Amino acid sequence: MPSIILYSSCIAGAVGLYLLANGVRMPLRALGTLIALGALAWMMTTTFNSAEGPIGTSILPLVFGVIAVMAAVRVTTHRRPVFAALYFVLVVVASSGLFLTLHAEFMAFALVIVYAGAILITYLFVLMLAQQSPTDGTDSGSTWYDRRPREPAIALLACFILLSSLLQAMTEQDSRAFAAATAGKAEAAEQLIWADLDRMPRQLERVARDVEPETEQVIGSISFDGTVAQVEVKLADGKQKTITLPEDAAPTNTQVIGLALVSDFPVSLELAGVILLMAMFGAVVLARRQIELGEDEIRESAGIAPSVQRGGDE
Amino acid sequence: MNLAATLSLATESAALSEMINPRSIQICLVFSALLFVIGLFGFMTRRNMIVMFLCTELMFQGVALAMVTFSRMHLDISGQVFVIFILTVAAAEAALALGLVVLLYRRRATLDVGAWSELGEC
Repeated sequence: MPSIILYSSCIAGAVGLYLLANGVRMPLRALGTLIALGALAWMMTTTFNSAEGPIGTSILPLVFGVIAVMAAVRVTTHRRPVFAALYFVLVVVASSGLFLTLHAEFMAFALVIVYAGAILITYLFVLMLAQQSPTDGTDSGSTWYDRRPREPAIALLACFILLSSLLQAMTEQDSRAFAAATAGKAEAAEQLIWADLDRMPRQLERVARDVEPETEQVIGSISFDGTVAQVEVKLADGKQKTITLPEDAAPTNTQVIGLALVSDFPVSLELAGVILLMAMFGAVVLARRQIELGEDEIRESAGIAPSVQRGGDE
Repeated sequence: MNLAATLSLATESAALSEMINPRSIQICLVFSALLFVIGLFGFMTRRNMIVMFLCTELMFQGVALAMVTFSRMHLDISGQVFVIFILTVAAAEAALALGLVVLLYRRRATLDVGAWSELGEC
């Protein structure tokens, strides 16, 4: 049953997007905006009620997500590319807000720095380099190919099929099975958080010293009394003592990501470096101007003496 | 038994039951699907080459959001680590694609992809 509701809201959203993308006159575009907003609200209400969980912490993801999706629609339908790029900055900021609500702090800030700070600036540079002023002078500052979408109906059909199957896969998960799986995880969640501290012996020792200044050495790994993390330490006078680790001593999101990056995915990290290097080479090769060199100049740049003079000597 | 009760029984910790909130995970997954599909729509309908690549970045955003959400759902950090690789690929793609766009713009003095449509009709 919920799939029928979701499909209908998908169709309504598709109709709204079609009017928004294809409407030449203002009233049509306004109608498309209204229909798309209604479909979004419909879809969100269905999603909001389809799962169980605390309501209070679900409001912020909803707000950020609505901002992101509305800005994304503006990216795809705005007639001026510069404004589309600026709306994309809004998408990035809103989705980094979503990342924050998912407790992925490092990724949220990395996203703002890399996307909004670096990639979008590149896009704006190229836009200013290559954007041509409108030749026909009819519309304010947009060219004809920015005003006319290409085959919006067929594109919307493909997108609708993809979206409905994606939504079905994502919302029709058995809520009870998910609950059982999450409960199993939640039991181990506290231990998962502390497990990364086990892999950072120096920090563990520092934390232990903060709790018990007499600590000389940490013995063994972290154990649990219920959800309270404990660790056994050897004191300066040779005695052993079990100390309780404070809640805020758990490793932060950034530390966990860094640890996973260098200990679990070192080869991927190297490959990422290679990809960036190759992209740099590729960009240089693409952007340079072709200069026709004579044979002598080629020989000279290769460090070989020019052929003509050598021939003269012999 | 609803999920909140299950979680609080399992852990007796209110903070932990908020840690994996199925409702917000559901919302984030739906938004990731929406972002991807809107990006796909833009890529198929826009004629401006730069905006087309902007729309691929939108699709990257959707995928990154799904990965972070799954990382939260399964309490596994690998999802967030792979978002770093997505960022890498997006940066490389932006550099190469925009270099290519500048090159094409020098040839035809237009950003319209339709200007290159004879490449597809052999």
